[in-house]
Amino acid sequence: MTAVIEVNNLSKHYKDKRALDNVSLSLEGDAIYGLLGRNGAGKTTLMSILTAQNFATSGDVKVFGEHPYENARVLSRICFVRESQKYPDDATPRHAFKAASLFFTNWDQELAEQLIKEFQLPMKQTIKKLSRGQLSAVGVIIGLASRADITFFDEPYLGLDAVARQIFYDRLLEDYSEHPRTIILSSHLIDEVANLIERVIVIDDGKILLNEETDAVRDRAVTVVGDSAEVDAWVASREVLHRDQLGRVASVTVLGALSSEERAQVTASGLDLAPVSLQQLIVRLTQKASAESGAENQEVR
Amino acid sequence: MSRTLNVIRLQLINKQTFIWVPLIVLAGATLLSVLIYAMIPGGEPKYGGGGQAPLWVFFAVGMTAMTLTFPFSQAMSITRREFFVGTLITAVLGSAFMGVLFLIGGAIELLTDGYGVNGYVFHLPWLWEAGPLGAFIVYFTLALFFFVVGFTGATIYKSWGAVVITVVGVAVGLSLIGIIYLITRLELWEQVWIGILDFGALGLALWGLVAVAVLAGISFLAFRRAKP
Repeated sequence: MTAVIEVNNLSKHYKDKRALDNVSLSLEGDAIYGLLGRNGAGKTTLMSILTAQNFATSGDVKVFGEHPYENARVLSRICFVRESQKYPDDATPRHAFKAASLFFTNWDQELAEQLIKEFQLPMKQTIKKLSRGQLSAVGVIIGLASRADITFFDEPYLGLDAVARQIFYDRLLEDYSEHPRTIILSSHLIDEVANLIERVIVIDDGKILLNEETDAVRDRAVTVVGDSAEVDAWVASREVLHRDQLGRVASVTVLGALSSEERAQVTASGLDLAPVSLQQLIVRLTQKASAESGAENQEVR
Repeated sequence: MSRTLNVIRLQLINKQTFIWVPLIVLAGATLLSVLIYAMIPGGEPKYGGGGQAPLWVFFAVGMTAMTLTFPFSQAMSITRREFFVGTLITAVLGSAFMGVLFLIGGAIELLTDGYGVNGYVFHLPWLWEAGPLGAFIVYFTLALFFFVVGFTGATIYKSWGAVVITVVGVAVGLSLIGIIYLITRLELWEQVWIGILDFGALGLALWGLVAVAVLAGISFLAFRRAKP
């Protein structure tokens, strides 16, 4: 299968900041990707350039094999829901959805209506008077009902309460399984989207740290639970990512995959293996990467 | 092409912007003008500038088309070219609509002898010199000009920031003052006025259309690199 998104040596410099630093990336498509990273890591910049809303300083992007800038063929198959999307001054949600139905050929009005009900979105208020959560709901509905071949969601959940976020995640999965397509979900609520995303792309300080299947990333580390003395003895020679203790029971996450013998050893010694929190893992990997690049800089000096 | 035409529908989804607001402003300005005319004693015809009020709406519409509708159009995955052309066509349609209103207003004033108080907002003799079509073109050009100036200004502002738009504004002001200085220094005012009157409102409007075309070209070049 050919890649739907291809990024080669992409850099973007703002006045005093390097938002993207020589990024190369290839996405096969037909999957839900999590684009994870801290605020200011370069998530929005990357998505803006892929959708021709922003311009690269150097490097090249291809979407469906073509450059997206001023390319209606490519753009008509893309939907980008921005976190801080602007709307015409006196537009209501009804106006916005009407407009979306004009431009997205796969627009599903029925799905839109269903989501409007579920999010309890007031349709006659102007968008500028909506709450932050309702504003996010407008974007989420456009992103889902447009059913574009590639949909980018940039932190789509801001201001949404837990119930509304769950509605979003459920409907996204449901609709995705019925209509497989490429979805790129940028987020810093990593654990919330962990069960949703099939592939993880971690971006930090303008660089791609990771682009792997979620399960493979999870296998990079393991959590061992049990009597704290036993656990500590077992993890002594390993790199500890995270440690929790409650009474005599400790739960420690260590880096590195386990072989089947090691797994057997762990269970034989009366300890339990638990799944790793993707969030902990990514936070730690990000910190490690910035510590290493810090060390590199020191050496250069 | 259909996507460009859809941009017109996008701009007109909320009819308030291009149609109702200018209409309300125009009706309001007319009403105020007529009330004022009615208070002025004496039977001679009274003329006023209330008709220019909706033009400022077009200026504001031109600005918001860039600052708000453009970012939204990007979320609709519309190319910049499609948005620019579609928006300009919408402005042409809106301006034509204003031109027709201007003619209707003028006709009403003729039929009612200036609302019965001999006061005129639309039927200003100099503008109507070249007949109704001429008057239409004058008003159409003015509305379009205001829109394009608003749109171009907002594009420059969004692309290069407040300093650049201020510099451009000051530069335009300085060149106008320079022209006025030259005319005064060379004592050409008489010829200038005669020239303007010779041209007539229609002649000036046609040159205005040329200016609109040049501005639209500049605006498109700046707009191609605009970010939402």
